[in-house]
Amino acid sequence: MTAISMQNDALMQVRHISKGFFGLTVLRDVTLDITEGLITGLIGPNGAGKSTLFNIVSGFLTPDEGDVVYKGESVASMSVAARSYAGIVRTFQTPQIFANMTVRENLVAGCHKLSSSSFLANLFGLPASRRELAEMHGVADDALRRFGLQGIADVRAGDLPAGQQRLLELSRAALAKPDLLCLDEPSSGLNAEETQQLRALLERLNAEGMTIFLVSHDMDLMAVSSTVSVLCFGEIIARGSFAAIKADPRVREAYLGA
Amino acid sequence: MTTTLFIQSLLAGVTNGCVYGLIGLGLSVIYRGSRVVNAMQGDFSLVAGIIAYLAMERLGAPILIAFLGGMVAGAIVGWIVELLFVRPTRKRGGTEESFLLVTLGGAFAVSAAALLFFGRDSHPVRGLGGNELLDVFDAAIRVHAVWLIVLSLAVVVALRFFYTRTFIGKSIMAASIDADGATTIGINVPLMRSLTFLLGGAVGGVAGVLVSPLITIHYEMGLLLTLKGFTAAIIGTLGNPFGAIVGGLMLGLVEALAIVFVSSGYKDVISMTFLILIMIAIPNGILGHRGRAGG
Amino acid sequence: MSLGQSQSLPAGSRMPRNLALIAAAAVFVAVWASVPLLASRGTVDLLVFTALYSIAGVGVAFLLGQCGIISLAQSVFYGIGAYATAYGTTALGWHWVPSLFAGMAVAGTVAFLIGWPILRLSGHFLALATLALATIGHVLFLEWDWITGGTLGVGGIARISLFGFVLNTPQRFYYFVWIVAGLVFWLYANLLKSRAGFAMRAMRDAPSAAMVLGVDVHRLKVQVFVMSAVVGSLAGSLFASYVTFVSVDSFGIDRAVSFLLVAVVGGAQTILGSVFGAAFITLAPNLLSKLGDIHALVYAGVLVLAVIFLPQGIGGFLRDRVRGLLNGSGRAGR
Repeated sequence: MTAISMQNDALMQVRHISKGFFGLTVLRDVTLDITEGLITGLIGPNGAGKSTLFNIVSGFLTPDEGDVVYKGESVASMSVAARSYAGIVRTFQTPQIFANMTVRENLVAGCHKLSSSSFLANLFGLPASRRELAEMHGVADDALRRFGLQGIADVRAGDLPAGQQRLLELSRAALAKPDLLCLDEPSSGLNAEETQQLRALLERLNAEGMTIFLVSHDMDLMAVSSTVSVLCFGEIIARGSFAAIKADPRVREAYLGA
Repeated sequence: MTTTLFIQSLLAGVTNGCVYGLIGLGLSVIYRGSRVVNAMQGDFSLVAGIIAYLAMERLGAPILIAFLGGMVAGAIVGWIVELLFVRPTRKRGGTEESFLLVTLGGAFAVSAAALLFFGRDSHPVRGLGGNELLDVFDAAIRVHAVWLIVLSLAVVVALRFFYTRTFIGKSIMAASIDADGATTIGINVPLMRSLTFLLGGAVGGVAGVLVSPLITIHYEMGLLLTLKGFTAAIIGTLGNPFGAIVGGLMLGLVEALAIVFVSSGYKDVISMTFLILIMIAIPNGILGHRGRAGG
Repeated sequence: MSLGQSQSLPAGSRMPRNLALIAAAAVFVAVWASVPLLASRGTVDLLVFTALYSIAGVGVAFLLGQCGIISLAQSVFYGIGAYATAYGTTALGWHWVPSLFAGMAVAGTVAFLIGWPILRLSGHFLALATLALATIGHVLFLEWDWITGGTLGVGGIARISLFGFVLNTPQRFYYFVWIVAGLVFWLYANLLKSRAGFAMRAMRDAPSAAMVLGVDVHRLKVQVFVMSAVVGSLAGSLFASYVTFVSVDSFGIDRAVSFLLVAVVGGAQTILGSVFGAAFITLAPNLLSKLGDIHALVYAGVLVLAVIFLPQGIGGFLRDRVRGLLNGSGRAGR
């Protein structure tokens, strides 16, 4: 294993995370840096613990040991929603869209953090609440154009094909300009052409300044990453540039299932 | 407080606990086999109690035959509920809530039908061994209550054997855990679900005929029995039949102590508070470890 | 008011549709205002109860439809409101207004204290917790007879008077209670088309995604639960002022179930669905009462059939029809 760098430009530092379920160890002493402004990749075969790590980073699970440091501070005690406010936003392996809402409404719901009116203000329909809703619609319309969703704006999200659901989920996540966008297998269920579009979109978001943490076992998509870590049976077995990782014999071994 | 009174209430607690345990057992059987929380479990018992009463008082049937009839009636109602309520709901893509709502509706239907055909009055049912009493350290327990405790434990043992040793028991579990997988290996999944309700209904029926001599039957008794059975099932981990009896005994003893130390008027308040606290504190029960509390 | 959820319409056809809506609203108001003048006292009385039950019921319906929470505890909050008005206006000699607000405050506080822990539960656990709550409430209403009068009840509750005008007939109360109901619907409609409304719908469809977008799911559920308790208490207070006598029989589990029935039969997805649901639970027993105790069986049968065959309730069914007509796309037939 290479030496762990603790540079100051790390937006998030995953430190010595361990997690087990019913005595079965899923993650063992995982340490990982996510560098600000870059795309950090994480690959690994099925069951390696990628999703568990993601759930720990986003706050859905509590680690048994270790800590997640974000912008220099531990997020251990923060809920999922609080982490979202701090700038950590994730997508899911199975796209979690709001099925009974239209695409536009999904994006309006995605503006939750951009607005702040209280429950009571909403209840009494105060002017501030109405103005804010209009603003949310404005942001959503803007996002429809930016992500090329105008054509399906009024389609019920649950009726969309899988690829478009994924694009919608990603657009909704990127809408509130997160500092750290965590993507869990964003290309699964996409065809080759859609994967290329996704790749271009990720590069664009990254160029706009978004730090991206990408989990995938799709090597084509992984090529957008600046650094790639390899997780295998709960441990980081290699890290380096995409080219180096691709050539690493240990990675090949892990993937071919020795 | 005298020792006798204390022992007396402990005995009552154990007896009631076995009843709650049996109701919880039926709930667990149905939940285990179909993932439906059956809000009419206590009403299976109501039907069984009524049938046993009618068989004895109107037909003059011997007590064992009447009890057997009650149990069969419970099983049949369980089976009908699966066919008429649960299956159509499942076909229309029912959610967790809709199963609960539909069985809740069934519970009110049974209660309303009992009111309609059986009236508002409470009816006493004869018990095993008549009204004879046994003496335990100066406290008295009805012979019927002893039978109730023994038979409850027998049902637990029999169910354990059924699930672990018999082909049908294993098939029911397979159909519940992985319906598609079970279908591919030739298990008739809809039949297994019907059997689950049949079995749950029969267990509810046993509970009904055993409890009726102790509390008299009343058309409104089903829902409270269901709630207490549910408490028992949750304490003992929902879906675990053995746990339900343990949970039932705990609930029964808590109630008995509440009557002694607080007041009988607050008995249901204390047991329902106990239910809520248990759900909050240990949602997975004393034997469980799967996550169930949602965010 | 639309039939509930806001729906964005194509801009071109907006004008004539608005005119049609205004005309329909005018006819509706005219019919509404003339009913007490034409209908019998008994009918008006039933319509008053329809309004009361739709106020308490819309709280339950909103919880079910927007948050996926089955609440069987509404009878408790309805009871708290009724006893607050009863105790306030008789034992304490208060005016009806502070009594009503005291009830709402108590109901809201109780809902908050109980809701905070139990709303972390999911699905049927939560439903059964609320049912347990209804049982506890019923027993306490019975046992705390120094407030509630137990089975004997409390009589001589002050009627509502507005600037010296006493609402002592069903006709007078009818106008008042329906205006209050309209206000409650208006509040819920506001909520539905606001930031909180979007957050709720998001939470209902995909809770984990809603959390990731910053929605504090638990807090939102508690807010809606408290809101539902407050309107339940409001309905209870109005009920007490209307009938001037309350007893524990009005706040049992069957009442909790009938409020849930308002939501299930009326349709939890639409706000005005509650009116249909409330009309059903008020009118059906009345029409069926000639048959005796069978009305309870019919009730239960309707609940079962509604869950199976009309999952969106009457309100949702009508909404789909109206949308079908407006869009002219023949989507009306299911």
